[in-house]
Amino acid sequence: MMSEPSAPVIERMSAVAAPRSQHFDALTLGTLPFLLILGSWALLPYVVDYPAYMLPSIGAVLDYARESVLDGSLPRDVLASLARLVIGFVIGMALAIPLGLAIALNRYVADLFRPVLSFLQAIAGIAWVPLTIIWFGMGNGSVIFVIANTIFFAALYNTVIGVQSIPLALHRAVRSHGGRGLALLANLILPGAMVQILLGIRTSVAYGWRALVASEMIAGSNGLGYMTMEAVQWQRTEKIILGMIVIGLLWVLMDRMVFTPIERRTVGRWGLLQR
Amino acid sequence: MTPQAALGLPLQRPRPVRRWGAAARGFVGVLILLAAWQISVPLVGLGPYFYPAPADVAAAFVDLVRKGILPVYLADSVMRYLVGLVAGATLGIAFGVLIGMHRKAALALSPLLKFLFAIVEVAWIPIFVVWFGYGIETIVLALIYVVFFPVLYNTLLGVRTAPQILVNAVRSLGASRLQVLRLVILPSALPGIITGLRLGAGFAFRGLVFAEMVAAKTGIGYLIFEGAQSQQTARTIVGMIVMGALWLSIDQFYLRPIERATIQRWGLTVDAGERT
Repeated sequence: MMSEPSAPVIERMSAVAAPRSQHFDALTLGTLPFLLILGSWALLPYVVDYPAYMLPSIGAVLDYARESVLDGSLPRDVLASLARLVIGFVIGMALAIPLGLAIALNRYVADLFRPVLSFLQAIAGIAWVPLTIIWFGMGNGSVIFVIANTIFFAALYNTVIGVQSIPLALHRAVRSHGGRGLALLANLILPGAMVQILLGIRTSVAYGWRALVASEMIAGSNGLGYMTMEAVQWQRTEKIILGMIVIGLLWVLMDRMVFTPIERRTVGRWGLLQR
Repeated sequence: MTPQAALGLPLQRPRPVRRWGAAARGFVGVLILLAAWQISVPLVGLGPYFYPAPADVAAAFVDLVRKGILPVYLADSVMRYLVGLVAGATLGIAFGVLIGMHRKAALALSPLLKFLFAIVEVAWIPIFVVWFGYGIETIVLALIYVVFFPVLYNTLLGVRTAPQILVNAVRSLGASRLQVLRLVILPSALPGIITGLRLGAGFAFRGLVFAEMVAAKTGIGYLIFEGAQSQQTARTIVGMIVMGALWLSIDQFYLRPIERATIQRWGLTVDAGERT
């Protein structure tokens, strides 16, 4: 599956770039572009003439941030989005893992489903939104359908790959000790595939996160995507920019607090990183 | 990369040559889906607005082709896609090489890029709409943004993994910086670049459809969106099917051959990168 440049790759990129002695160097150089952007943002109104709504001042964004945290609207939107992400994730995974196991373990199932799934995978995600609006109306139903749909296909792929990556030798070993059926599934297939399934969560959720923001923009009634798209009509650019920053920060946080630990534990537990 | 590829891989042991059986079973799968769709229409019984039948969709398809709407939309979508893809890939390769070859540039840019990468392209669309209005600029910018990051990171990886021994060899023969780039760095980065392009192409395709839903008056994404808005749900489904077919053909006729050509030429499998 098309994957995100993963955290380790990016970590590695900075790791290669920064030998320990040059941490200070890395810090100053790394903050430089941010300062440049903030600086030109602050100075731009004095240099170029543009309508104020096109780009709010830094102060306006900060003011709106404080205001929306205090009146609870920002936390509400964040929680609404995250809750949908979790629900969509659970539904998508719950459907994908059994089907993925069936496809990986049985050639007939694989043959039967392959063309249909390939095609549905090609239209997975946001393209369903107009249809789901008709089916479920605006709001939770539509958004969760799209997230679950998106995560389903990513997770399906990882499950199939996970089973396929189990070494044949292990398979033979279990079989030759009489492991069959459920015992085989519980002792070899599931734990063996779990590495890839866990590592694939990051990619799945990366897709789901995009789908979430996108579908909230079209079909949402609250949440971060809705908040930013709705602000376009009222030309509340400070709201849009705050939304973007929150979306970026949330992803960085999820990465740090959820995916990186999962990857580290998986590596610790199984002693391998399949990258 | 694609699940098709995954689903097509041999499972535990090499698949015996029985392609016809597989194709036949696949065909049966498609038939079952279509039959289930057709049978469920009277069961749902809510009319073509809520749940159109396959026949309605076929009729809508013929209608759209006859009126010349579908060809125009398709051409518009493909054009936007190509412009975004080419521009995004060019930028991604350029920055990838720059960051890969200059330590200072890497130190300076990687935190910013990390943060920008976290603000997914979808989140930029509202501000692009404010800045550039509803139209091609917004769509193409969003596509450039999507393609840029995967190409950048994979180019970077390719540049970083260029064998130092070759760099040294070429340099000791008196090669200039540009020659090192052309003779060693770019060729060894190429599989990475192709991988990045392929990932970017996939993201960009979804980005295209979404951007067209929000910010266009033509194109496949617009067809999907507008069909539902104007209560012509069959048109929405035509749009979705065309979208799926378009992506599968891009994948089959362009991306895979390019990938195969790179692998054959440089003897590398880019699969490792795809599973990242």
